[in-house]
Amino acid sequence: MMEAVKLIIIGIFLPLFPLSIIFNVVFERLPYPALRGVVLLAWPLVGIYILHGVEEPLPDWVIIWAVSTAILYAFRLLAVRQMGLWIGFLATSAWSLLWIALNGGVSNDFPYLLALGFSIPLALLALLDRHIELRFGAAYTDLYGGLALTTPRLAGVLVFAVLAATATPVFPAFFLLLATIVNASPGVVVCLLLTWLLWAWASARLLQGLVVGPIVGEKIQDIGAGLSWLYAGMFLLLVVAGIYLTGGLL
Amino acid sequence: MNQLVLWLPAISLVSALLTHLLGGLLGRGVVKISVSGGVLTVALAAYLVGLSLMGEDAHLHLLGSSWGGLLFDPLSVLMALVIASISLIVRIYSVRYMAEEAGYSRFFMLLDLMTAALLVMVAAGDLITLLISWYLVGVLLYFLLGHDMRSHSAYRYGFWTLITYRLGDLPLVLAAMLLFHTYGSWSLPVLFERISQNPNAVTYLDLPVTEVTGALVALAAFARSAQFLLHTWLPYTMEGPTPVSALMHAGIVNAGGFLINRFAPVYIYSGDVLHWIFIVGLVTAVIGSVLMLSQNDVKKSLGYSTMGQMGFMIMECGVGAFSLAIFHLIAHGLFKGTLFLSAGSIIGEARQDDGVPKDDLYTFIVERQSPSYKQPWLIMAAITLIVPVFVLLISHLAVAPDLFQKQGAIILLFFGWVTGAQLLFSTYHMSAQNPWRLVGLIVVSFIIVVVGYTLISHAFDQYLYPNPEFASQLYAAAGINHLSFDVLITITTFIIVTGWIRVYYTQRHLGHHDKSISNVWLNFYALISREFYINDLYTGLSRNVLAASSRLNVLLRWG
Repeated sequence: MMEAVKLIIIGIFLPLFPLSIIFNVVFERLPYPALRGVVLLAWPLVGIYILHGVEEPLPDWVIIWAVSTAILYAFRLLAVRQMGLWIGFLATSAWSLLWIALNGGVSNDFPYLLALGFSIPLALLALLDRHIELRFGAAYTDLYGGLALTTPRLAGVLVFAVLAATATPVFPAFFLLLATIVNASPGVVVCLLLTWLLWAWASARLLQGLVVGPIVGEKIQDIGAGLSWLYAGMFLLLVVAGIYLTGGLL
Repeated sequence: MNQLVLWLPAISLVSALLTHLLGGLLGRGVVKISVSGGVLTVALAAYLVGLSLMGEDAHLHLLGSSWGGLLFDPLSVLMALVIASISLIVRIYSVRYMAEEAGYSRFFMLLDLMTAALLVMVAAGDLITLLISWYLVGVLLYFLLGHDMRSHSAYRYGFWTLITYRLGDLPLVLAAMLLFHTYGSWSLPVLFERISQNPNAVTYLDLPVTEVTGALVALAAFARSAQFLLHTWLPYTMEGPTPVSALMHAGIVNAGGFLINRFAPVYIYSGDVLHWIFIVGLVTAVIGSVLMLSQNDVKKSLGYSTMGQMGFMIMECGVGAFSLAIFHLIAHGLFKGTLFLSAGSIIGEARQDDGVPKDDLYTFIVERQSPSYKQPWLIMAAITLIVPVFVLLISHLAVAPDLFQKQGAIILLFFGWVTGAQLLFSTYHMSAQNPWRLVGLIVVSFIIVVVGYTLISHAFDQYLYPNPEFASQLYAAAGINHLSFDVLITITTFIIVTGWIRVYYTQRHLGHHDKSISNVWLNFYALISREFYINDLYTGLSRNVLAASSRLNVLLRWG
């Protein structure tokens, strides 16, 4: 009974549908971008911490449930136009994969790094979401577009953050996903690959809806050069960390 | 010295970094860095090819403990030289062509990154490095095709490319996973060694690993090389800058042929997979050529021409002629790159002169030239059918006396004969003051092409697959039983000859239309002009997926 309760609690933090709705509702209502970033970083860590307290091996149905959640949210991601919601859905899809990764024995030495590999780019996206909202009133695709010409630095950072969050090589999420695939059963692998494909599709839709298009009418201030270098440094750190992590993963 | 292979992608990476960092300082002059990097890469690749030709052994250079290695072997250095050369030409062309475009230095940075990714791809010594570079090529191409950030249509078509490439990445990931699980290594040389020791290993559901892996790798190659049903992205990516089209058609699209060659040791044991590869290549070659002929836009026509050529390249792999596919992709890359880079000039010239041939009556009355003379069709038909066979047989027997023991070689000779006959057949329609001179010139050209092709492809075979036993095993794996082979060749010959007779009959009876047959042709033309409705099907499918996603979100209240 106790184990079942634990699993349900973990299902909130390593989201399993419909428990995943709790995270998305909470995340959507957070007013401050920094707080959103912190939640994105901390939420799955809580789940992993509790999961380590579970002594019995995970039943197979949990893995099926987790992969179904991942694919469900990846599919729903396709139609999302609001960036905040997009980040929440992608986080839900990505974190549910942690069940499979941890169950398959991927990096038992550094379980929290697994979660951070997915979460850090999402947290950066949450900060960028705020930058866009401040400048354009809303971070919404196909509403104005043209970020690449209007605010090129912001657009550049956004592109890298989206690529990092959707498991593009050589960011950590790519290696984590690859390690998960290697340690999963064939049926689960097919679902994981489909999830990955849907992420790529959704990321292209997000970028095309925000970055592409003519210059937006009025003069809008770009992010500062210093801030863009800071973001670049973070991406570089992510790449180095990703490549380093694989030593223990693969 | 062969560890210099590690510097091949490194030069382009450094060049990309410097182009980005110094873009603001040097302005448009920053492209000199990119071009200089390109020259250095070509020189290094040429040196490595030289080393390889002098007999330097293949070697894997590892940067990490289990992955991150680059291979020095004939295939990797030859492909590296091709990529570096085409990339340099494209960069030099772009210096002036892109001068008026926004994001000038970004374009060159992306070109450098693309070159680095391609060089890593062809030299990858393990599955993870191969997967990373394979994936990155798709992502970088997406941004290169969408270089004009204002153009929604460029990105829309760029997205088609991206999603097809991503679809093609998935089977490669699956193949990598299966190989790693079965043979316990990421390293390609180690894997190939273990496969040769234990080719009959089975995987999930008792499926043979080599067959499943061969099929998955072929699927990845099909997506990258625009094989039928995965081809729609290729002719529609003309919204991107012309240099990108040239790079794509001359280099990137050839990756399928390279990938199948890289996994050649797997295909020796892959059962019927090579037959399926042949069929897919054949269908793509035929459909690509048909669609090419029906286009009225020069760049789209070139796009479908590439599709047809890629079909032919994959077909060559399907008959076991792996090294020929590499020669084909290099030759195709060079001539298609030239065509794309000169497409703008041709369009400019067409605006001055439409190039439509003058009417016979006009030339006779106004220009006072005597009417052209045509030879009797029987003589022409005899020349058409006999000359190509003669030329092909003599040239191939000179380099490979055991020619008729290889089905793949016979199939390729057969296609050579059809192509040669078609070439001569077309001269019958040409009007010339001196038709024998015209025929003579075409026959001489044909001989030069065939002899050149035969000698070079033989040299490629010696260079890429120096072990004759290995090359024979590839041909043997592609073979089918003799009766089926003879029946197939007979049926194909019958279809082609019937087609020629039909064309001749149509030409002789111009103006006498059978209405029912005309309607059939009209419907067929409508089908071709809509490109077999495949684009419409995919567009409808993706709209339905997006609508379903939207409905699901509404149902679940976006939570």
